[in-house]
Order: sequence, then structure tokens, then C-alpha cells
Amino acid sequence: MSYEMIALLMFASMMVLLFSGQRVFGAIGFVAVVAALLLWGERGGFDIAFAQTIKVMRWYPLLTVPMFVFMGYIMSESGIANDLYRMFHVWMGGISGGLAIGTIGLMVLISAMNGLSVAGMAIGATIALPELLRRGYDKRMVTGVVQAGSSLGILVPPSVVLVLYAMIARQPVGQLWLAGVVPGLMMAAMFVIYIALRCKLNPTLGPVLPEQERKIPKAEKYRLLWSGLLPLLIFFSMMVPFVKGWTSLVESSAIGAIAAFSAAVFKGRMTWKVFDTSLKNTLGITCMFMWIILAALAFGAVFDGLGAVKAIESLFTEKLGLSPWMILILMQLSFIAMGTFLDDTAMLVIVAPLYIPLVGSLGFDLIWYGVLYTITTQVAYMTPPFGYNLFLMRAMSPPEISLSDIYRSIIPFVLVMILALTLVMVFPQIALWLPETVYGK
Amino acid sequence: MKLMRGYIAAVDTFNGGVGRVMTYGIFAMMGILLWSIISKFGDQPSLWTLEAAQFAMVAYFILGGPYALQMGSHVRMDLFYDDWSLRRKAVTDAITVLCLLVYLIVLLWGAIGSTAYSLGYFGSDAIGFFIGLISGAEEPGTLERSRTIWRPYMWPIKVLLCVGIVMMLMQAISELFKDLLRIRGEVI
Repeated sequence: MSYEMIALLMFASMMVLLFSGQRVFGAIGFVAVVAALLLWGERGGFDIAFAQTIKVMRWYPLLTVPMFVFMGYIMSESGIANDLYRMFHVWMGGISGGLAIGTIGLMVLISAMNGLSVAGMAIGATIALPELLRRGYDKRMVTGVVQAGSSLGILVPPSVVLVLYAMIARQPVGQLWLAGVVPGLMMAAMFVIYIALRCKLNPTLGPVLPEQERKIPKAEKYRLLWSGLLPLLIFFSMMVPFVKGWTSLVESSAIGAIAAFSAAVFKGRMTWKVFDTSLKNTLGITCMFMWIILAALAFGAVFDGLGAVKAIESLFTEKLGLSPWMILILMQLSFIAMGTFLDDTAMLVIVAPLYIPLVGSLGFDLIWYGVLYTITTQVAYMTPPFGYNLFLMRAMSPPEISLSDIYRSIIPFVLVMILALTLVMVFPQIALWLPETVYGK
Repeated sequence: MKLMRGYIAAVDTFNGGVGRVMTYGIFAMMGILLWSIISKFGDQPSLWTLEAAQFAMVAYFILGGPYALQMGSHVRMDLFYDDWSLRRKAVTDAITVLCLLVYLIVLLWGAIGSTAYSLGYFGSDAIGFFIGLISGAEEPGTLERSRTIWRPYMWPIKVLLCVGIVMMLMQAISELFKDLLRIRGEVI
């Protein structure tokens, strides 16, 4: 059997197993170890799975995963985010569409404190969404706002997805994170512009808050502004020592986790229930991540051993005669197809061992591609009819929002994201400028 | 049936207990990393924190993994799975969990071999070596040390990995038993 065939067979059997609903790590790990045993027999075949454990242990930046997951849970469970929402509410309520714009701002701040998009979506759907609906905002627009905003979570540092990407692509995490900053903020700005324009054209979509609701004493207003500074404080306490080179990435993540924890304690929000739920969920999510990585690395190692990447590259470039850019665009399109039925970790795990080396050998910058990858997957999760985020949103949002509302709400935002994606593709400097400036090339 | 229920109760209690303790492991990691930062301001930065934090994280997710399995934290691809009846889920899981078991057994096999290596045994009969070690017929050879300045012995973490993987296996079997009971229409 040719190597292409083996590779194809591995993919196919993995997909079948995944569709059976078995735990993702079990499905991937099983295919990997069986393939290894069949290919290399007793000795090498047995070692390949366990060797990944040692690799995971030695890969220092993975320690950031539990830290950022913990931070995210502290934030969403302790309700620090409620104050943030109030701040935007009070300060932005006066303009047309202001609350929706404020929600994007809220999402940016939340993204700066945690590494997954789910936390942002949970906070957006449970805190912001009901408030916006009550104020007569158009339900289709605001569901779109929450979903689009939550996609910033994995682009603005810290980002757990980029940590995983870094591990598989063998790129420095710090540079990847910095590369995500400008595109993330640019995308947020584009969302804001879009909302502002639409509300200007049709003010009924985002009515201005009534006078009596905006009449809040000055002192209260400034107190709330202070609470908005808190996440920034946490963010900078974490990022400044890291960028200055005083602490390593992992040490910084510990500072962030300790800062978020202290903030919750200081604000009197750290009840036993919050503490317990955060600890339990952090363990659950971290274990899920780590076990998937273990299995995925084994899968990737078998793939490396096969030399499958080289075979597929030659298939595209020599036999089909495609240019590197065409291959890149085809890959981006295939994400959209896969994002309809895979979640973000599963997608990274399945796609990364094949795509990332291919992109590298085609001569593209892997830091830049990390940003492209992240935006594309987010677009993929939001494209109807199937998309991981769409279903998540349905599960979290109030009952008056139907699935068809969610489908329709997302279209303009997906277009904005595709525009952002195109900009980053055409002008790689949007992503690469910051890491190059900080690290000096 | 009684035996199955007994097994489920015993394994779930044990793994759950270990898991609950491991949830606090996040503070151990934070503490080690915090010390790492503090020691930079002193005369000499500590050499052991990096590796110690790595060991702590491995302990965290290997010993916590079974508890996560119990809580159902390990993601599944639920495009179809979500719409199935409880019985259909149980039947499918009872079959596909065998894949998980195969993966874990191969993982364990590798772990045992690697642990024997860390105790200075380089042959291919790792199990025989451990039996010999217990009965006194074998002696540990040159102990493997990590190739860092701190140079910790590697065997404790590898033994821990073996224990964790065994716990994971036990938990996977417990999940299989739960599915079998569900197929018989019993309530878990």
C-alpha cells in the first residue's frame, strides 16, 4: 500500500470513529496506535504513544493552558464581568447602537483575560444579550454581535488555541500571541464600524437609552469606569513583565491567574461555590485538552513517520500544478467545510499535522499563518447550516431567539470577518508588524 | 450485575477522590511559578522550578484525567450523537469504548517499558524485571536522570504516569459497565 493510501485510510477511519461519538482523544489515539503497530511492529509501535507524554511534559508553554482556563472560569463564575457590562452600559448607552458597540468592547476586555472563545460567548449570551433585548435592540443584530465578539477570544492574547498551534507548528508562542493583537483589534474596530453604520441608517435597530436610565450620579459613573480598568490591570500585569523579558510566558500566565483570583477575592466575589466550580471545571477542561494533545501528537508522529506531508505536497504542486497561493486558499475553504462538524480542538488536531508542515514547505510564514488559521476557524464555526458556535449560541441564548435568527444574524458579521481575513492575507504586516517590532528581526 | 455495580462504585469513589485532590494542583503550579519569579530577584534564580512545574502539570492531568472522564468533560463529536436515544448512545459507547481501551493499553505498555528503563533495565522483558524487583531477584541498575542542571531522577514521574494510566483504564472500564447496565435498562 502506498503512503498516500495509508494516510487516507487513517483519516477515514478516524472520521468514522469520531462520528460514532466516542471521546475525541480515544478515537484519535486508537487510530494512531493501531497504525503504528501495523506499520512498525512491536517495539516502535508500542513506544510512540507514550513518547508523546514525555514530549508534552517537556513542552513548557503548555503550562499556560490550566492558568488561562482557570482565569476564564474565575471571571465568568465570579461575575466580575457583570461590572464590566455595567460600565459599557452606562458610558455607551447614550448613542444609537451604543450598547451593541459596548458589547464588542466587553468582548475585547474578556478576550484579554482568557484564552477560549467559549467563555466570551457564555458571558455575552447570559449577561449582555438579555439586557440588549430588554432595551429593544434588534434581536438578530445582537445575537450576531455576541457571536462575532466571542470570536475575538482566541485571537487577542492570551489564546489557548494559539498555544496549541504553536506546539504543532513548532513556533514561539510569544510571537504568535503578539501577531494576534493587531488583527484582533482591527476586527473589533470593523465590527464597531459596521454596527455604528447600521444603527445610523436604521436607528430602530439600536435605540438610545431613555433619559431616566442614563441619569446616574457622576460618582457611580466613575466607580464603574474603575471596574473597567480592572481587566486591563490584570492584562498588563501579565503582559508587561513578559514583553519586557522579566518573566517567561508561563510565569506571566501564573501572574495573570493569581491576579484574577485576587481580584475576585478582593471584590468579595469568591464564594465557596464559585471556587469549587472553577477548580473542577479547570481540571475538566485541562484534562480534556491534554489528553487530546497526547493522542493528536501520536497521530502526528505516525504521519511524520510516513512522510505523508511530502507526498501530498507533491500531489498538489507537481501533479495538479497549483500555485502556493491557490493551495493556501483551497486549504482555507476546506476549513469552512470542516468547521461545520468539528469543534476547535478537534479541528486543530486533525488539520494541523497535515496543513501546517505543508504551509511551511510552500514557503509561507508560519506565524502569519497562525493568525489566518485562527480567523478562518472562527469563520468556519459560524457558517450555517452547521457550525459549532451556532449550536453553542443556541444552547446559551434566551428562548425567544430561534436557530433561524442565529443563522441570519451571523451573515453580515461573517462577511466582515472574511474582509478582515482578506486584509491579513494581502497585507501580512498587519499580523507581523508587532512581533517583529517587539522581538526585532 | 452486583459485581459490576460494586466495581463502578469502588472505582468512581477512588478516582473521584484522587481527582478532587488534584483540582487543587493548580495552586501548586501557581506556587512553583510564583517562586520562580521571586527567586529571580534574589542572588540566583532557582534551577528546579521549571521542571518541577512540568512534573506538577503532568500529575495534574494524568491523575485528574479519570475524574474528568467520570464528569464527562472529554469532548465528543456530537453532531449525530446528541440526537440519539439514551439506549443507542449506550450501545455505541459500549462498542467504541474498546478503542479507548486499546489506546490506553498501548499507552500503558509504553509507560511500563519506559519506567523499567528509568530504573536501569534496558532489556525487552519489562514485566519480568518488575516481578524480579519485587521478589528480590533483580536490582535497579543505573537510574535515569533528567538531562538538565537540576538532574532529577526520572522514575518517580514515570511511576506516577503508570499509575495514572491504570486509573484511566479502570475508569474507562467503569464507563463500559455503566453502558452495559444502561443497555439492560437499569438506571445509573
